[in-house]
Amino acid sequence: MTSDLTEQQLSREELQALRNKRTGLAIFQVSWIMVFVVLILVNLQLRNNAPSWPPPGVDQLSPIIPTLMTLALIISSFLVRQGTRALKAGEHAQFLSQWRIAIGLGTLFVVVMAVEWITVPASGQYSDLFRLMVGFHGVHALVIGGFLVNVYRHEAQYDQLHFWPVEAAANLWYFVTVAWLLFFVVLYVI
Amino acid sequence: MASISVPLGGTGTAEVPRPKLRVSDFLRWSVDHKVIGVQYMVTAFFFFIVGGTLAMVMRTELLTPNLDIVTTGSQYNTLFSMHGLIMIFLWIIPMFAGFGNYLVPLQLGAKDMAFPWLNALAFWLIPPAGLLLLASMLVGAPEAGWTMYPPLSTLYSGDGQTLAALALHILGISSILGGINFIVTIKNMRPEGMGWWQMPLFCWAILATSIIVVMATPFLAGALTLLILDRVAGTAFFNPTAGGDPLLWQNVFWFYSHPAVYIMVLPGMGILSEVLSIHSRKSVFGYKMIAMSSMAIALIGFTVWAHHMFTSIQPQLRIPFMVTSMIIAVPTGIKIFSWLGTLWGGKLRLNGALLFGIGFLSMFVIGGITGVMLAAIPFDIHVHDTYFVVSHFHFVLFGGSVFAIYAGIYHWFPKITGRMLNLRLSRIHFVLTYLGFFFTFFPMHIAGMLGMPRRVAVYAPEFQSINRLISLSAFVLGISTFVLVYNVIISLRSGTVAGANPWRALTLEWATTSPPPATNFIGDPVPFPDPYGYGTPEAAAYLDAIDKEFGAPEVPVDKPAAPIVSEAPAGTD
Repeated sequence: MTSDLTEQQLSREELQALRNKRTGLAIFQVSWIMVFVVLILVNLQLRNNAPSWPPPGVDQLSPIIPTLMTLALIISSFLVRQGTRALKAGEHAQFLSQWRIAIGLGTLFVVVMAVEWITVPASGQYSDLFRLMVGFHGVHALVIGGFLVNVYRHEAQYDQLHFWPVEAAANLWYFVTVAWLLFFVVLYVI
Repeated sequence: MASISVPLGGTGTAEVPRPKLRVSDFLRWSVDHKVIGVQYMVTAFFFFIVGGTLAMVMRTELLTPNLDIVTTGSQYNTLFSMHGLIMIFLWIIPMFAGFGNYLVPLQLGAKDMAFPWLNALAFWLIPPAGLLLLASMLVGAPEAGWTMYPPLSTLYSGDGQTLAALALHILGISSILGGINFIVTIKNMRPEGMGWWQMPLFCWAILATSIIVVMATPFLAGALTLLILDRVAGTAFFNPTAGGDPLLWQNVFWFYSHPAVYIMVLPGMGILSEVLSIHSRKSVFGYKMIAMSSMAIALIGFTVWAHHMFTSIQPQLRIPFMVTSMIIAVPTGIKIFSWLGTLWGGKLRLNGALLFGIGFLSMFVIGGITGVMLAAIPFDIHVHDTYFVVSHFHFVLFGGSVFAIYAGIYHWFPKITGRMLNLRLSRIHFVLTYLGFFFTFFPMHIAGMLGMPRRVAVYAPEFQSINRLISLSAFVLGISTFVLVYNVIISLRSGTVAGANPWRALTLEWATTSPPPATNFIGDPVPFPDPYGYGTPEAAAYLDAIDKEFGAPEVPVDKPAAPIVSEAPAGTD
């Protein structure tokens, strides 16, 4: 693994700090995904209480555009991963190009889902839950997408030894993707 | 053990720079975990006094069956709601976070927490959140109790309920940040020679607590988000007339709040394991069992939440939750017997720390047994929403958590300040607290079984005499707190200088000066292989090396015997 080779050049303190940051971020991800789980449980309980879902007279939301957006988000996550690897391998140009496309796809996802959020017809619990979940996820996508942009803006600071902000932003972007996949299943599939 | 380990090489008196901390250092941003720990504790204690004052007002009101000092039931609702919210979220939880902050890095021989800046942020979220919670009383106070059940919290509470929910949101984020920090510190920053099974039990308890914090607190965040949206954004998640469900709140809230009960007691159990072993000069009985029972409690704690909802959930779900609720008494029982085994045959030092430790044991057992009684559905339905429940959780939260906090204060005050607390005052404090506590909360069992409902300002006249007894004892309990405050003040000025290791304890926080220097240790300290291995020649040599390094305490605690005698191998009986 190339990343291990570069990490061998870090001092004992730097390695300890890196290990701490990695563990800390992982615990944060496991912890904060629980908020998304809460919203899923809320959705399931209210859905279970309703006589039918969606409620009588309300149209099922079309899954076609969101499915495409989900694909865009997954591809963007994959590119972020490739970009981080490229950075650690010293291929800076490749890191930049992959990161750029990832940000573009992420922006597309956020914008299109924002349009979905605005245009959903009001239908009581059904649309309220949709707005709650998509909105809650959207806030996370915006903030963490901001991290991706920030990494891109300061790309010159990062190289094979100084990669933590890039790795952290990438990990958080996986979090956005996983959280969305959970929501996607609840909102559109089942 | 073939080789005798010594804390810092034992090469003579170490030149340790004495830290000179002024009061102003505690009022500003600092990333030193020791400063943050004290900031947590002092802030929490302030809110303890605030919450206690509210309790005193409530008990004054309850001296007679009629409305006296409050003019409406709503005002009384505000009193008990604020009392509960403050005591749980601004006293017990941050107080234990303070102990954890101060002690975990020291016990691990580390220089600081894993993320010092994050640590400071987690603390500084608390004062604004506390002020927000207090300010909620000014704008239509919350009246729905600390459990905030809708529709009480949505339709029948003022705007203060929204502020309170926001305050809890901030406190929850603070808890999560602290919890992440503790887990990373404990997992990654143990020194060489300290495997998981050489870790002090307080660290085990903080680890178990932090796991609950990071996994359960997001549920509170989710529930509060929905509550705030229902109050301000026109949604109806908890409103059954619009397809919502009030039980939704109860499920999500208790899925956080029952594990939160263990957030509030597990660190206390950790403190107790330290205190009982050190002050009875004996090894902890069943170290691994105590450590693993903490983890078991953390795990099983997630499966019992619906026992708070026996009267509202579907009847077929009651039995499974009754069973899990009774199962969780097992790891707690393991701890109780381990502690009794630790005390048994020890050379007890009856100082403030050990007295409150024993007080915890006796009172927590009562709280635990009434807990099992409440887990039994037929009994629970009988005493549902009565003073029996109030009594049960005060035995757990005051007789358990607060007694443990007091024990911890008496135990670690010398380390934090460099001075001993006054022994006579600590005993007076214990006697007043113990008796005041018992006669405040034990009669509540009786009132509850006779049918006195909780959360009322006006009650049936036949309960007046028992309420008089409860209120008068509560006043004693309230006053007893100030014995501690007085003791702290005079000891800070003129207490005996403690020295590095006044209790002759083996855990690493005692292998440095009191208070420790900014970097905690000079060099990397070497932990003793068994943190509770009292009574062996190796332990005596290790402790003597600490004394040699930092100077022996002026007044040996084990009077009249010299400290070395208490470490003789025969001391274990």
